[in-house]
Amino acid sequence: MSLNPLTEAVVLDALRQVLDPEIGMNIVELGLIYDVKIAGSGVHIAMTLTTAGCPMGESIRGGAEVALLNLPTVTEAQVELVFDPPWHPGMISPGAASPFD
Amino acid sequence: MEAALPISAAPDVRGSQPKQVRATAPSVSLPLRFMLTALVALFGAVAWIIANPSILAIYHYHQHVIAATHLVVLGFICTVVMGAMYQLVPVALETKLYSERLAKWQFVIHVIGFVGMVWMFNVWNMKQVGHFGSALALGVGLFVYNLARTLWRVPKWNIVATAITAALVWFSLTIFVGLSIAAAKCAYEATEGLATEEGVKQVVGGLRVVAGVVSRFDAIGAMHAHAHLGVVGFFVMLIVGVAYRLIPMFTLTEVQCKYRAGLSIVLLNIGIAGSVVTILLRSQWKPVFAATVVAGLAIFVWELWAMLRARKRPALDWGLKSFLAAVGMLIPVCILALVLSWPSLPMNQFFGMLENVYGFLGLFGVVTLAILGMLHKILPFLVWFGVYSPHVGRAQLPLTSQMVSERAQAGGLVTYLVGLLIISVAILRESEPGVRLGGLFLLVSLGLFGRNAVKVFSHFRNPQIKPLIAAKPAAV
Repeated sequence: MSLNPLTEAVVLDALRQVLDPEIGMNIVELGLIYDVKIAGSGVHIAMTLTTAGCPMGESIRGGAEVALLNLPTVTEAQVELVFDPPWHPGMISPGAASPFD
Repeated sequence: MEAALPISAAPDVRGSQPKQVRATAPSVSLPLRFMLTALVALFGAVAWIIANPSILAIYHYHQHVIAATHLVVLGFICTVVMGAMYQLVPVALETKLYSERLAKWQFVIHVIGFVGMVWMFNVWNMKQVGHFGSALALGVGLFVYNLARTLWRVPKWNIVATAITAALVWFSLTIFVGLSIAAAKCAYEATEGLATEEGVKQVVGGLRVVAGVVSRFDAIGAMHAHAHLGVVGFFVMLIVGVAYRLIPMFTLTEVQCKYRAGLSIVLLNIGIAGSVVTILLRSQWKPVFAATVVAGLAIFVWELWAMLRARKRPALDWGLKSFLAAVGMLIPVCILALVLSWPSLPMNQFFGMLENVYGFLGLFGVVTLAILGMLHKILPFLVWFGVYSPHVGRAQLPLTSQMVSERAQAGGLVTYLVGLLIISVAILRESEPGVRLGGLFLLVSLGLFGRNAVKVFSHFRNPQIKPLIAAKPAAV
């Protein structure tokens, strides 16, 4: 069995499994993912939250980590929360829409 | 390999040093205990109106009206606001609650205080009102201290922090004035025998001085000043300030003009300070400060409109629609405020009942409806957070919008607005059957709210967790 190569697109697809429960939009379309670095079977992402004090912060960060580790080719995943620059609604993917809008 | 940026619409941040931040919020049981207690109090208040509709069909300077009013303002509004602030202030201001333990103690003291006060107002035992009020004031002191220490940690001061600070100052003053009014109605003959160096005697001495000052003003003026301090200074100030944070969060927008938002808070503060003094003194300047408050609220509505026009999330859910309906209720309330502030107004039966309508619409039309709207958002979020947050990324989870019945929310808003209209007309007509009918509409609305709350809380017993499906490519 051959595994798909680990690319940024594969990583982002995996991260789309993580939704903001209030907005109903995934963290990629929300523009929360600032950086993806792939080194062998390890992935490091830098992501933000819609607000720095968001009570969901730790669960979203943990969820993103689990989503990455669920990829068959990933053995190590690091998710770093960053708040510089702060998120704003202009970072939402153009054309992205909440499924409940 | 380094990924190409920007990802999605995010800007390039490769040059910046990432900062590790651990977001913290109190456990969900803390705000939930406040909110559930508050809802019980609201049900009790509406049931009271239905059982005894005369409390809205008579002039409000009456022990039963004052007792029922304190059940609404202390039992429902204050309780829910305290719970929500313990949860929201750390989120809104990107900091951490100073002490969750203190908040739990404050809850117990607050419940003892408000239950005792309502009971003693109802039997008009002002000395006991003062005693239970002192317990409540102790709780408020703990609440204000806890939030002040929390505000002290705010990394970046902003307009929301300013509004919350102002609201806490007005709230403290409200409690002080309320206790002073109670003290002014009491006699302290039982303390005559106490030695002068005893602490109780000194406290009572202080109360006598305050009571002497309050007694110089007429009782109704002092009561109205106390009510405006609490309702406009604390509740409305919070609604305006917190809206500048929550509306952007819920609708994916931003404050469009910080100057405008700041001006609304400044005008509100000037208006409140001036209104309280002029109401107390029955001054000719009352309309000027009433107009200042109205101007502050008009600028708030202007900014709210601008924020909503720029939102990225087109659909407004029923929680937000309820909140906006409450903002719309500011229109009749502000008109009534301007009319009733007119100094040469004849104090007859009609204008007396118009004051009842003003107070009723202020409390139930603006503040309570705004809170119910926000509870439609906050309750599902708190339950979701308590049940599902450990499963993020591991399973398919419901969205908060899927935890509620939109039909029940829509029906709840419509019946609530009908209830407000019927009661307002009934108050003007001094019709007890009309007040009772309107109260029944409010009760149906609260029943629908309760039904939704039960549906939301059912997720604690029956979580809806499904296995993950394969990720789909982005639709971008």
